[in-house]
Amino acid sequence: MNAKIKQKLLSNEAIVVYIILLLALIIGAVNPTFISPATGINLLRTMLVTLIFALSEMIVIVSGGIDVSFPAVSCLTMIATIKFLLATGIDSVPITYGIGILIGATFGALNAFLITIIKIPPLIATLGVSSLTSGATLAFLGTKIYTDLPEKIDTMHRISIFSYTNPAGNEYSMTALILIPAILCVLIHLMLRHTMIGRGMYAIGGDIQAAHVVGFNVAKTRFFTYILSGILAGTGAITYMILMRVADPKVLMGEEMMVIAAVVIGGTRITGGHGTVIGTILGVALLALVKNNLIILGVPTHFQTFVVGMIIVFGTSITSIRAKRIAEQAKI
Amino acid sequence: MSNVFLSLKDIRKSFGGVHALNGVDLEIRRGEIHCLAGENGSGKSTLIKIISGIYKPDKGQILIEGDPVQSLTPKSSIDAGIQVIYQDFAIFPNLSVAENISINHSVLTGAKRMNWTEARSLAAEAMSRIGADLDPEVLVENLSVANKQMVAICRAIINDAKLLILDEPTASLTAKEVDALNEIIKNLRNKNMAIMIVNHKIDEIFNIAEQITVLRNGEKISSGPASGYTRRSFIRDLTGREITETTYEPEKSDEEIFRVEKLTRHGEFSDISFEIRKGDVLGITGLLGSGRGAVGDALFGVAPATEGKIFLNGEEIEIRSIDDAIKYKIGYVPEDRLTQGLFLNRSIQENTTAASLKKYFIRGKVDEKIMLNDTIEWIRTIGCNAKDAEAPIRTLSGGNAQKMVIAKWLNTSPRILILNGPTVGVDIGAKADIHRFLHGLAKDGVGIIIISDDLAELIQNCNRIIVMHDGKAVRTVDTKDVDETSLSKMLSD
Amino acid sequence: MAPKKSLVKSIDKHTLILLGLSVLIVITMGVHRPKFLGSANLQSMLVQLPEYGILAFGMMIAMISGGIDLSLVGIANLSGIIAAVVMLGLGGTPFGITLGVLGALSGGVLCGAFNGVLLGYVKIPAMLVTLSGLQVFSGLSLIITKGPAITGLPEAFSKIANATFVGVIPYSAFVFVLIVIVLSYLMNQTVFGRKLYLMGTNRVAASFTGINILKTTITAYILSGILGSTAGILMASHYNSAKSDYGSSYTLLTLLIAVLGGVDPNGGDGKVQGVFFSIIVLQLVSSAFNILRINAFIKTFAWGLILILVLTAINIPKIIREQKKG
Repeated sequence: MNAKIKQKLLSNEAIVVYIILLLALIIGAVNPTFISPATGINLLRTMLVTLIFALSEMIVIVSGGIDVSFPAVSCLTMIATIKFLLATGIDSVPITYGIGILIGATFGALNAFLITIIKIPPLIATLGVSSLTSGATLAFLGTKIYTDLPEKIDTMHRISIFSYTNPAGNEYSMTALILIPAILCVLIHLMLRHTMIGRGMYAIGGDIQAAHVVGFNVAKTRFFTYILSGILAGTGAITYMILMRVADPKVLMGEEMMVIAAVVIGGTRITGGHGTVIGTILGVALLALVKNNLIILGVPTHFQTFVVGMIIVFGTSITSIRAKRIAEQAKI
Repeated sequence: MSNVFLSLKDIRKSFGGVHALNGVDLEIRRGEIHCLAGENGSGKSTLIKIISGIYKPDKGQILIEGDPVQSLTPKSSIDAGIQVIYQDFAIFPNLSVAENISINHSVLTGAKRMNWTEARSLAAEAMSRIGADLDPEVLVENLSVANKQMVAICRAIINDAKLLILDEPTASLTAKEVDALNEIIKNLRNKNMAIMIVNHKIDEIFNIAEQITVLRNGEKISSGPASGYTRRSFIRDLTGREITETTYEPEKSDEEIFRVEKLTRHGEFSDISFEIRKGDVLGITGLLGSGRGAVGDALFGVAPATEGKIFLNGEEIEIRSIDDAIKYKIGYVPEDRLTQGLFLNRSIQENTTAASLKKYFIRGKVDEKIMLNDTIEWIRTIGCNAKDAEAPIRTLSGGNAQKMVIAKWLNTSPRILILNGPTVGVDIGAKADIHRFLHGLAKDGVGIIIISDDLAELIQNCNRIIVMHDGKAVRTVDTKDVDETSLSKMLSD
Repeated sequence: MAPKKSLVKSIDKHTLILLGLSVLIVITMGVHRPKFLGSANLQSMLVQLPEYGILAFGMMIAMISGGIDLSLVGIANLSGIIAAVVMLGLGGTPFGITLGVLGALSGGVLCGAFNGVLLGYVKIPAMLVTLSGLQVFSGLSLIITKGPAITGLPEAFSKIANATFVGVIPYSAFVFVLIVIVLSYLMNQTVFGRKLYLMGTNRVAASFTGINILKTTITAYILSGILGSTAGILMASHYNSAKSDYGSSYTLLTLLIAVLGGVDPNGGDGKVQGVFFSIIVLQLVSSAFNILRINAFIKTFAWGLILILVLTAINIPKIIREQKKG
């Protein structure tokens, strides 16, 4: 029992928690106003969309793949959806999400087809799809940035589940949109942990040959994974659009770096088979914390990219060294 | 004969005109341990794949419990109660013991939900049936090979298996682990399960088999109760020739080539000392985990020794990396030919010259012409059956490919050549060629070390053998003083 | 007889297809848009081609070694910025320019070593290493420039890409040709080249054959880094400025060139010659797009589509063969 507690305390998740706490302490020491509900609300707001994308990336990595196409797919989703809404005059949040999910699923299926049937390595396939999609968005749907969202969609973000007014009188309200990643986290956790399709993702990521041998329908599971990942990307796109009240054909490009970094720092092994929702939440939280507070810590804006890059390098080095240790460790 | 579980009649299978199986009959009964023996290329893996439904036989009949089966698919084979444990176990390193054991069951029952409670109880039940005691929550990547095998066996038996087939189950087990495995197998046999073990190690077969079937070149050579076989008759059936009692005897020489003093690598082996004189072929043997392979790895710098001295022609040298070993002209034929020895997709020429590229760098360029000539020369010298030096090496048979791995090192003019399992998966003809060749090298003053668990090979080809146990050299014997039986006793003592 | 055989063999089927494609594009475009063969177009092709062509060779080396280099554009920009800063600091003298170029190349070496060490020593997969590398190198660029482009580089420096030899051939084209020659020698005729192919084919066997994996991996990525910084120098010269996010579309393009040129995404295979012709084909396609006034976005779309189609065309025969086998 003791050994188990020790194992838990040294797990990847636990280490990320320590780093988050340490960081919070340092930031709190530099800036005492940091320790306040407002910080929590800001942090959750920063995490909101990234978390959805991180879930989408995590399930793909768990199953032994990678997806760098979701930023392009999300941009296309946003623009295609808004164009459709404006053209038809539809103003309904559920329909908006419906369209987003449909588009995301289609591109997920395309990725799955290229990777599973045509057997193109996942990185190269999704890089190709990324270029294809991004080019298509800008060339065929236009470069316009839309800020004139239909009314119901435009005001959706204002629905708040709670708010906090600080002593200075500034009001911080938590948008109800946070419920979307929250619900998705619960659902994905349940799926990964308690359904056979979820276990199949781990099995394929662990050893694809063995998954065949024990009777998993490997192609079906991989299709499901990429389509679900696409659905999540589509959901993320619509959520971004509603939260930011803008549909921009380029704004999410480059986001894959942060998302993959958050997933890997959260303990998902890039080689597949390992990863949890909790870890992913923590990874996203850590990066959001860093991103939101670099200035408080005295890091100038133009240092951000570099600092984030170095965090990724250290994060991935630690995971890699841990995996190497396990491989070399004495076996029981 | 009601307890016959599986019966195969006149099974034939060929691949592109090559007969893998040429009319094989086989009968496996419940409550009996049946050993399927055969050298590599004898057709035993093809036979297993037919039983497990992966291959369809070209001709022949399969009966399960007396009923003819029209076509066997992997699924219908499992449904009929046939479970195969392959050499690589097909288990998931990233999942827990409990999940690994239950996963097959969950997939086959078509469950949509993952039932962790059921998984744990299935795992506990299966483990208690074979007397295994593993933490069900631990990830399989943390387990030893023997325990991984336990997991694979547990997984196989929970699906109400009636026939359990184990493909070379002892290949990577230590002696103790083999004993434990045999106990488990006997236990399952007592519960009226049919067991088929594929193996080619004589001692292990005689230890456990009740029924033996020997395959050679795709044909059944003999079949019958184990008591009807003697060592001699078994080997004759297996190899098609009598045991030769000749041992290797070099001319006496005082010229020391290589000496090792108290070589140690912490956690692997300690205090290994030996010397090699001109003409010597030194054998190192021991069971798996005895450290026999680690000595080879240390001398080649893969996992260097931490203490001890190494002398080459009387001069002390240090081997801290593979680069060092190469510098002192030490060659190493590794254990796993396919992953460690060969560049499968590259040509024979590229493979042969891979370790000696530097010497072809002449006047500022790599000279392909000399490379090709040298390769053709080696193909001839070592008796490799290759038509085109520029063909990919994957087109060669195991024996021919192994000859070229050896040629790769000979092309570096080595002073010491270490061979780890030099004739694993090599057919008899090529085996003899390789041995003859090694003797020639020894005579020419190359120090030869053969690391192997094939005792017959060591006795016939080495003049001195070091027996290792738990990382220590327990005995060093002159080959002329031992035979297979006495040597095999030393291994486990 | 022997040399003839090797000549036929050296021009393989793949190269012939690429050569055929080039001829087809030149003829079709030449007939429909004579401007395509005009000296203005030729010159602009020769300016662009070396920039991503050299990057594509970097990608080729990383892929042959069994990895991938997604950080090349980051290395190029960082190197351009280093060159710019050094040159401006030393006031555009020939000495300053030389030092700037050397500084840029050393930057490439360091970036490559960074990738190589993380890959070969820490054993992080190439994709993740070079993706993080891209972030780190771009981050360094941002730190130096604080965002905007560094402009006003010495005139002599901008002549590398913008001035021409006998009125048509920009000097950067000579740099490209020189690199092609050096690389074909390095990959085909040297021990390092041979080791690189062997390592890309089977890393474990290479190690057991006495090939130093760490050293070879680091060398390969340093080489890739040097090519990245060479491209960066040419880009800085061409635009007469350096910025942290130039050429962001080049990553996919270089990957496309490598794959189209016959480099195996799984490592171990690919020829300088194939990649060379692939660069030419893509430059012709790109130029044709320009002349047909097809916008940059459609190009991005087309590169993605072509990448997928090429890999599909390469993989389908393999898939069919495997299905036949069982």
